[in-house]
Amino acid sequence: MNFRYYDLKRFGLAGAIIIAAAMPFLSDNMFLLNLLTLMLISIIFASAWNLLACSGQGSLGHAAFFGIGAYASTLIAVQSGLTPFITIFLGAAVAAFIGVLIGLTCVKLKEWFLAMVTFGFAIIVQTLTVSVLAPITGGWDGMASPRLLSPTIPGYQLIEYYVILVITIAVIIVIWYILKSRIGLAFLAIRENEIEAQAAGVDPVRYRLIAFAISAYLAGVAGALQIHHIGYLTPELYSVDNSLWPITYVILGGLFTIAGPVIGTIVLTIIWEGLKATGLTFGRYVIVGFILILTIIFLPKGLVNLPERVHMWWKERGRKEMPDGLQQ
Amino acid sequence: MDDIGIFLQIIFWGLYAGCIYILLGTGLNLIFGVMKILNFAHGEFLMIGAYITATVFLFTGINPYIVILLSMLALMCIGAVVERLCFRPILGTGKLNEIFLSIGLIYIFQNGAAMIWGDSWQSIKSPYDGITIPVGSLSVPLDCIIIITLTAVILVALYIFLKKTRIGREMRATSQNRKGAMLIGIDVERIDVISFSLGCALAAAAGTLWVVSGQVFNPYMGSIPVVKAFAIIILGGLGSIPGAIIGGLLMGIAENGTAFFLGGVWKDAVSFIILIIVLVVRPTGLFGEKKG
Repeated sequence: MNFRYYDLKRFGLAGAIIIAAAMPFLSDNMFLLNLLTLMLISIIFASAWNLLACSGQGSLGHAAFFGIGAYASTLIAVQSGLTPFITIFLGAAVAAFIGVLIGLTCVKLKEWFLAMVTFGFAIIVQTLTVSVLAPITGGWDGMASPRLLSPTIPGYQLIEYYVILVITIAVIIVIWYILKSRIGLAFLAIRENEIEAQAAGVDPVRYRLIAFAISAYLAGVAGALQIHHIGYLTPELYSVDNSLWPITYVILGGLFTIAGPVIGTIVLTIIWEGLKATGLTFGRYVIVGFILILTIIFLPKGLVNLPERVHMWWKERGRKEMPDGLQQ
Repeated sequence: MDDIGIFLQIIFWGLYAGCIYILLGTGLNLIFGVMKILNFAHGEFLMIGAYITATVFLFTGINPYIVILLSMLALMCIGAVVERLCFRPILGTGKLNEIFLSIGLIYIFQNGAAMIWGDSWQSIKSPYDGITIPVGSLSVPLDCIIIITLTAVILVALYIFLKKTRIGREMRATSQNRKGAMLIGIDVERIDVISFSLGCALAAAAGTLWVVSGQVFNPYMGSIPVVKAFAIIILGGLGSIPGAIIGGLLMGIAENGTAFFLGGVWKDAVSFIILIIVLVVRPTGLFGEKKG
């Protein structure tokens, strides 16, 4: 067998970028282009969630940062007249700031408690949006958001797709760089054993806050991009459903990896859209639930781990064919 | 005089709303004590219990307070299956996995229920709707009194079960020290199934009471009460059942007070604000057991 599964990584990366860049030329279907754009945004969102998970903090309320980024960006764009290309990053900064505040609340909390606080936080933000802040946010009705590019520009959807593709690749490179750097190592140390990390001179509080800030920032970018792409925002952005999607994507793809969120999002989007053709409505969610549970039980490292698993199984299989005496 | 009337009214409604949270929280506490997991999908069991009660009541007209037994029994079976197929394979592989698994369960139960019963908001009328009994200066609906009594009966029965029966003692032993329990010959996996089923049955009872009290329900209603139940057991201290009871009452009163003074939108948010404050200020809860 000459094929080495390690090569998958290199070829996969090159192939993925080429396919992503060529995709719009394979089909001029506007529906498909829109779907691909939303998928890229989901990849950013899932990667942002995964970065926080890398520091050992599983958030159940990432929709809060997604929504804050979207609302802040829209409000800044509407009030100041700046182009969405700039306000995306300003809105995300607001999300990052709030993320640090939440991180400060959560410094001592882990696992369940963190999950609960973040979950509750998304609901608190939603409540604030529709009650106290309703005069500027439009309450439950939501508000119109400036488009990333004016629909009068010819081929604006295509340009938008490429802009978002570039941002997605940039985000993935940033995450790759962070995880490779000292910060990433510190995240790993905290996740695996906090007391030992502390003994080795890693300040868990500091790195937890860094993780929260970066993750909230990227989630905010994703939220702002989605809302400027669609052109309308509602408090539904803060829904529980929206918090759970990135988790599902990451678990399916592979937790704590860089390729995981990307692969998970692509595979699940294909399954999701494929199931749409069957006419199922609630059934699709039930299937996603089963996929999630089966992945956790039988493929705990996600789809990323699948080639390695197949490879190992292949090697094991060869060994078993040998005579009994040679096995040990 | 009028102020005191309103005050009493808020406390009373809080007590009544608290009953549902107490049952849900006690179930979670029981499961947490034995298995050391917190199931985020616990609210879905409440939802299923609510639908079973409503369906049986609408089709046969049996008094919903009797259907509570059926819904508890049904959820016990569902709970046993969920524990055996989903939680046991991943027990001890990390807390994050358990959280993610419960998310999968949430997807399945919510949308499974939506497939069977549709996703619109529903409500039913209790057979005793409109009957009130004067208690002091208040006139109290009969349903409230039945619900509070029923909750008390269930809790007392649970207390007797835990203190007096052999399985109850084994459950307490497992909850205190899992390894020690194994060493003295307790089948901890059997205890896991039993406590998970019991927790689910309590959630089902909460679901029945939810329906009978005339509150609206749909397949997605479970996720908010469950986080409130978390808030309660953290308020009362993880693993402490009296703590869960007092926490539930406080939560019900706080919620109704806020809804009255700040408006109904704040009803859900206030429980999370309480949760966050408690977690930051006193993570062991008001009645938390000290760690040895």
